[in-house]
Amino acid sequence: TSLLREILNNSYQLSSVPLQLLFYVNGIYYIFYFLATLAMIVYKSQVFSYPDDFLGPDLALLFIMAILEVLRLYLGSNGNLTEEEAPLGLSLVITVGSVILSVYFLVWQTYVLKADVIINAVLLFTYGLESVLKVIAIAAFVS
Amino acid sequence: PPETRAAASARPRSGPAPVTDVARLCVCDLLVAQCDVNCCCDPDCSAADFSLFTTCSVPIVTGDSRLCSQKAAIYSLDVKANPPERIFQLIDHVNPSVFCIHATNYKQALSFSSPEMPTAENFDQLLKEFGSASFSAEPDSWNMNTDAQNPSDANDTYRYEYGVPIQTVDAFLRLPSPVVSSWCSDANPAGFLVNQATKCIRSVSLEKCGNIEEVSMLFYINSSILAVNITVRSIVVQSLNGMRTLLNGSDVLRLPTILDELCVNIVLGVSYHITYTDAGEITEAAAAFVLGAINKEALSIQQSFEISFTQVNTKPVPLSGNPGYVVGLPLRAGFRPQGYPCPVEILFAALILNTNKYSQLTILQSTSNQDCLAAQGARTPILFGYNMISGCKLRITAAMKCQPLTQTLLDLLKGQSFPEYVASFGNSQAQDVLNWVPITHLHTSEQRIYNTFQSSCQIPVSLEIEVKWTKYGSLVNPQARIVNVTAMITTTTLKQLPSGRERTIPITSSVVFTDISSPAEPGYKAWPTINAKLPFDFFFPFV
Repeated sequence: TSLLREILNNSYQLSSVPLQLLFYVNGIYYIFYFLATLAMIVYKSQVFSYPDDFLGPDLALLFIMAILEVLRLYLGSNGNLTEEEAPLGLSLVITVGSVILSVYFLVWQTYVLKADVIINAVLLFTYGLESVLKVIAIAAFVS
Repeated sequence: PPETRAAASARPRSGPAPVTDVARLCVCDLLVAQCDVNCCCDPDCSAADFSLFTTCSVPIVTGDSRLCSQKAAIYSLDVKANPPERIFQLIDHVNPSVFCIHATNYKQALSFSSPEMPTAENFDQLLKEFGSASFSAEPDSWNMNTDAQNPSDANDTYRYEYGVPIQTVDAFLRLPSPVVSSWCSDANPAGFLVNQATKCIRSVSLEKCGNIEEVSMLFYINSSILAVNITVRSIVVQSLNGMRTLLNGSDVLRLPTILDELCVNIVLGVSYHITYTDAGEITEAAAAFVLGAINKEALSIQQSFEISFTQVNTKPVPLSGNPGYVVGLPLRAGFRPQGYPCPVEILFAALILNTNKYSQLTILQSTSNQDCLAAQGARTPILFGYNMISGCKLRITAAMKCQPLTQTLLDLLKGQSFPEYVASFGNSQAQDVLNWVPITHLHTSEQRIYNTFQSSCQIPVSLEIEVKWTKYGSLVNPQARIVNVTAMITTTTLKQLPSGRERTIPITSSVVFTDISSPAEPGYKAWPTINAKLPFDFFFPFV
């Protein structure tokens, strides 16, 4: 019966299932985001006047964001599943960097198209939701 | 003028700022301060004009349509109203595409950039950036060339280019010239390095002697070319019968005055001589005057004006072609002075009034009074390509002696200084001996029967100069080159006349130019050869 109660109570599992779901959805969405932003940068460089010293930073920041995102999702997922707060905390810190980069692509890019606005808004919303869930998970792990 | 110099050396300007307000932009407004037809955005049109339009040629003025939201000015005509009126609306135009530009952080993204205006400072850098087949994306350095010259120095003299009018303190240096008729017009500016010679007629009268300023010397030397004063080089006074004398002191300004019922010191000709440096600055200006006199019957005088330019530290050598002779230009000739290996050109000391034609190789000029002995030494220069013949009649009396007569006739035919060499090309330099052709002298006698006991007098009666020339250089642009010059003197026997009798013989001199360029020869291809070799194994079984 205690085993049954534990299974029914879920009290030994501290990992957050919504957070894990969100990580999974985020990963898929980010792949789409990355490809879409890259394609749009290529489109802008053909259609508009996009000199090299504006194109360079935009592309570099996109690739940095991709690397950060991979790292972030890996650490977050790892920390959530092993119920460790350290990787989850690190993932939260990296999320701050990702948020800044997303704001860059939303506001400070050379050309901000309407599509850019849409996908970056969705990404920022996802980051926001993730951050809230991570904080709750860390609180659960610590206590 | 100083203000244009200052403006020219100002910092690089750009063009006018572009108009970006759609309410004010109107591309069909072409006429200034007038209403353009069917142009609904023209601010010069009134409501009455709009009622006459049929349609709006420009219905909408928008910015870049790729922006997500932008202002648009819509013009339309309401034909239902009476009278028709124009409707102007300012709306926000929304681009429905998802790829419309929401914002941009790159200022030059959506408009053409104004190109930089080239000035003396940034010209080199602009040339490096845009001067080759492809533009470099970014120049290496944007700093101005610090060791560039500073042209806006106020004390700097003005630099001229070819054809630019020469400026004086008030306007331009003027060379009066005939415009439509032969009357003088004072509005012809003298251009830098443009040699001009003009003749025109001016109306004068004895009563207005001192009042007409265009016939007084002061008018022509009063205007000083910027920073350089016009000096008087020489004054020649021409009397009523045409005799010219050179005055010794040329510093005195001679103004028209009335003297013995004549108005003297009237300017009949001015010859400006400007010296310039190779940077285009004028360093010296001199004027030579010919002053004359008019009597009370004179109603007009002919004035002649001339301007010539010399580079400082060089002696002007007029070319008769470059390199081949040009038809109509005088032949260049010279002589080899004793002890010099190279021919030296005869250069007349600059005549008081430059006559443009240089008397290097001349022939006798026929005068109206055909007497040889009274010919007064009038000679005409030999011009390339122009065959000439001239002559005079010689009256021989019994008292004339042979030897002086021979010498006189030789002087008459050949002139005072008959040259020894003629230039082969129009631009032959005096140092290149090979470019000069020696004049060959021939003597023939008119009498066919040669009398070995010739004790009688032989006097020259005819000089014939034959100039043989050929075409030299490319077929497309052949240059004339003199190959041979022969001066043939024909003499005749002077029989002794009984006293009291006279005889008249004609004396002729002529110049003939002969083209000895070889004609084109036809060229043929090589004759075709018959290739009649049989195959190797034609006689197979037997060979």
